[in-house]
Amino acid sequence: MTTIERYAAPKSLDEALGILQQGEVTILAGGTDLMPQTRAGRIAFKPTLMNIRDVAGLSGVVLDGDALRIGALTTITEVLDDPLVKEFVPVLAEACDHFASDQIRNAGTIGGNINNASPAGDTLVPLIVLDAEVELASKPNGSVTTRCMPLAEYFTGPGRTRRAAGELLTAVRIPLPKPGHVARFYKFGTRPALDISTISIGIAGVMRDGALSDTRVAFGAVAPTPVRAKQTEAALEGRRLDQSTIEAAANAARDEVNPIDDVRATAWYRKELIHNMTKRMLDHVAQA
Amino acid sequence: MNAAEKPVIVADSLIGQRIQKKDAPEKAAGKTRYIQDMVVPGMLHAKILRSARVHARILSIDTSAAKALPGVHVVITAADVPDQQPIGVARDHLPLKGERVRSLRDEIAAVAADSEEIAEAALRLIRVEYEDLPIVAGPEDAIKPGAPLIHPAPLDAEGRPKTLPPKTPVAFAGKADNVAMRFDYTHGDLAAAEAESDVVVEDTFQLHYVTHCCMGVSGVIAEFDASGNLLMYSNTQVPFLHKREFAEYLDIDPARVRIIQPPIGGGFGSKLDIYPFEVICIFLARAAKRPVKMVFTREEEFLASPTRQPVLLTLRSGCRKDGTLTFRQVHTLHDNGAYTSWGATTPFVMMQTFSSLYRVPACDYHTTVVYTNNPYAGSFRGYGNLQATFAIEQHMDMLAEKIGMDPLDFRLKNAQDAGEVTGQGMTFKSCGFKECLTTAAERSDYRRKHADNIANRNARGPVKRGIGIASMLHVGGGAKIYPSDGCGTILKLDDFANVTLITGASEIGQGSETVLSQLVCEELGLPISAVTVVNNDTAITPWDVGVHASRTTFIAGNSAIGAARMAKAKILAAAARKHDCDEASLDLRGGFVVKADSGEAVVELARLMRSLHFSDKAELVMTTFYYEPPSVHQDKGFKGDVSAAYAWATQVVEVEVDTDTGIVKMTKVTGTHDVGRVLNRLGLEGQIEGGVVMGQGYALTENLIVENGVTRNPNFRDYKLVTAPEIPEMDISFVESMDGEGPRGAKGVGEAPSICIAAAAANAIYNATGVRIFGLPFTPEAVYRALRGVTSKPHWQAWKPE
Repeated sequence: MTTIERYAAPKSLDEALGILQQGEVTILAGGTDLMPQTRAGRIAFKPTLMNIRDVAGLSGVVLDGDALRIGALTTITEVLDDPLVKEFVPVLAEACDHFASDQIRNAGTIGGNINNASPAGDTLVPLIVLDAEVELASKPNGSVTTRCMPLAEYFTGPGRTRRAAGELLTAVRIPLPKPGHVARFYKFGTRPALDISTISIGIAGVMRDGALSDTRVAFGAVAPTPVRAKQTEAALEGRRLDQSTIEAAANAARDEVNPIDDVRATAWYRKELIHNMTKRMLDHVAQA
Repeated sequence: MNAAEKPVIVADSLIGQRIQKKDAPEKAAGKTRYIQDMVVPGMLHAKILRSARVHARILSIDTSAAKALPGVHVVITAADVPDQQPIGVARDHLPLKGERVRSLRDEIAAVAADSEEIAEAALRLIRVEYEDLPIVAGPEDAIKPGAPLIHPAPLDAEGRPKTLPPKTPVAFAGKADNVAMRFDYTHGDLAAAEAESDVVVEDTFQLHYVTHCCMGVSGVIAEFDASGNLLMYSNTQVPFLHKREFAEYLDIDPARVRIIQPPIGGGFGSKLDIYPFEVICIFLARAAKRPVKMVFTREEEFLASPTRQPVLLTLRSGCRKDGTLTFRQVHTLHDNGAYTSWGATTPFVMMQTFSSLYRVPACDYHTTVVYTNNPYAGSFRGYGNLQATFAIEQHMDMLAEKIGMDPLDFRLKNAQDAGEVTGQGMTFKSCGFKECLTTAAERSDYRRKHADNIANRNARGPVKRGIGIASMLHVGGGAKIYPSDGCGTILKLDDFANVTLITGASEIGQGSETVLSQLVCEELGLPISAVTVVNNDTAITPWDVGVHASRTTFIAGNSAIGAARMAKAKILAAAARKHDCDEASLDLRGGFVVKADSGEAVVELARLMRSLHFSDKAELVMTTFYYEPPSVHQDKGFKGDVSAAYAWATQVVEVEVDTDTGIVKMTKVTGTHDVGRVLNRLGLEGQIEGGVVMGQGYALTENLIVENGVTRNPNFRDYKLVTAPEIPEMDISFVESMDGEGPRGAKGVGEAPSICIAAAAANAIYNATGVRIFGLPFTPEAVYRALRGVTSKPHWQAWKPE
């Protein structure tokens, strides 16, 4: 176990990015994943521990042009209770309502949930079907630069993302949904919360004349990262949402996921759940 | 006081009232000081190094680097304690393992250091070399011919079996096979009963691993004084038995062992045995000459505290067309784990359910308990009865269906009545079984819902509703397992008529302090607040066999009543002398001595107490009482009236089964318990609600996953306790059968509420879906597989010795 040699608690983004640029930094936000994972030996501390909780401007939800911008340090509780989130992307609030416990929600942040990059991360699937982008800041040459990347492309493996070592995730941006937009989230579990997803499903699109367009389907806990389900989307895109379309989409969903056996479920059962619950969610969309 | 001022005290009773638990305010406020909170001046912190292998020979242990770490005081291995004695009911378990590890929980070394962090760092410096041995992963493997032996006999230098004196414990002498224990019981003529049967069913049931999940993890503090007397702060449920056993292990006089129990954060049977960590902590304290504290981590609690025993159970049951049961034949295979604790002895309770829950003319019961390389099983609330009831109550439904009889009528036809003596010799002096059945069925509308659900099985929609019924019989008046099943009480009244109740009975959260205070106050006409309970120090409290077998209210209650009645007699006699009246005309009410007929106050009790004390014939009111129940030990064939009373209950479980996911939602539990008499209604309801939730966890969510000897889910993330929103609606009612021997008519109830839930849930799932599931737990995937017909039915060829 590496010992922490330096603790930093920057107040500004500029300062934080400067520390990050020096390298070998572990970033601490809510700590709800970092602390148990370091304790269990799955993550090793780097020599510098940087607590970003005091960095100004990284928290809160605002309307920014045609997007909703959620600061990385916004806690899950704050996302859950936010009126803008409720108004424009209620599916994200719904996911937060299935997220761990009140204590964890009060400490854990949306940026942390994204960067922990768990295939079962609760906010990731709804964010992906909402076409969310992550905003990454860095200070490579003494001045701050920012780039954006679709969240669907951000994850590379369990606990791994395309974030460069010198970058800090500052916000997640969600384009404001078009008229007729529908979005659904399902997390499998026997408990209302406090459960790690066995599978999760997000479905979104614009419903017009009984058919979905701009269809987005994503699954959690069936692959090393949360994944977009392109074949399921294709089975739905532009088609009348009737029983045969729904059945075809549910079959496509079962066929395109490739989950594993673990202590929570077998791969076979995960595929069955993906099929059955995709079908149930689409039935509900069709009936709404 | 002149005559005009004398108040009249109306007779009032505490029995059946809702009384807040005495320890509730402290616990709710977070002020209770558990062993985790305790700091003894000068104490060291200890940690145990456990095996990294499931089954292996230990080739070498190198502790030199750990010993050299600053802040480390003592490092011990088996080599440092050549005097260690085997623990456990079969004496097959050495606390520190020197030559061989038999499971992943096995203790190899222990460290006492200035802090937990240093002790943990020291563990990482200990090097152990292993040579792997073949793993016995399950009980069926353990009894295969040529199976690797878990406790092989030691060999001498020439490779021949060592000659050892007779009665050498298994830990030293080994065992020629993997059979840890066997139980065989029979009554009636099985062949004749089977020949008379119109219907016979046979099925194998598979029961899984669960563990207690006490919120307070295991912990102990051990210290020796300058004279070598041992003081332990311990969470044990059986302090007096442990005092004697620890003395034996340390080869010292039991008088030199004192056990103090800080408030216990949950027991549920897990603290009935002595475990290696306790003995190891004593060894460390002895070596360090300092107090040593050892507290488990949650992960360690999952890995190294006992489990409920997994069981493979094959049951054959028969009945006649008219609904009369004819026989039961049972073969079970118990996974003991690597060592023997109380889990091995659960057949004592299991066979009672098979032989005596219903009237059955013939019963043939066989258990084989085998060693494996798995975690070892201990005692757990219900003690085998959850497993037995799971099988028997499913068969009751199956037999009823085969003969076309209503499942409730079938049960009522075979249910026991008061006055019956069963084939096993249990005598039911009070028995509210039939009233439990009819009350629970009526309150839940069982018959109508049962029929409706069957009719609706093929209705549209993925969610099916089901209702299921199950009943239980359990000891309710102690259990005569040890030479005595008694409990002592010392009671004193001070100058202000406050009572100190000194009882041997331990409080483990079950509410014994409150109910015992209530029984004393009922005798002495005092409010609950007048009683202080002292119950946690073997140097002060009188003997008690311990908290087990749902015995405390019954046994300690009768003991407390005995002491209180003696005090009352003494008080009334003194009052009669002083006030020149007949003591038979007096009573105690509301803190006064009163005239029994009119309630007119004669003298305030506190004033009377002072006048007795501060007089020329100074006298204090202090009494002692020891209660021993009129039960008997079983004979060698397991027959005998082992408890002074028996408790009954029926529980009806309602479920919704989502056939798309396999999720079973428990929506309602209707429970009717024959408790003899309701003493503390609030405490009783709490006890039953908690037990129902424990039963719900056993049925639906809890599953300690052990694969090839490795526990896969030692954490609350993947070992799923029921959380608050999942708890079903409950309708709890009581049958008061007024047991003649019980304290104010009461019987034990502690274990009862968790026993029937899994069995009733199984019947409810069948009612909902038409699919019967023979293995637990009913996790979503298990249920989904069963609904899709892709589960293989548990199968086991009953094993009989050559």
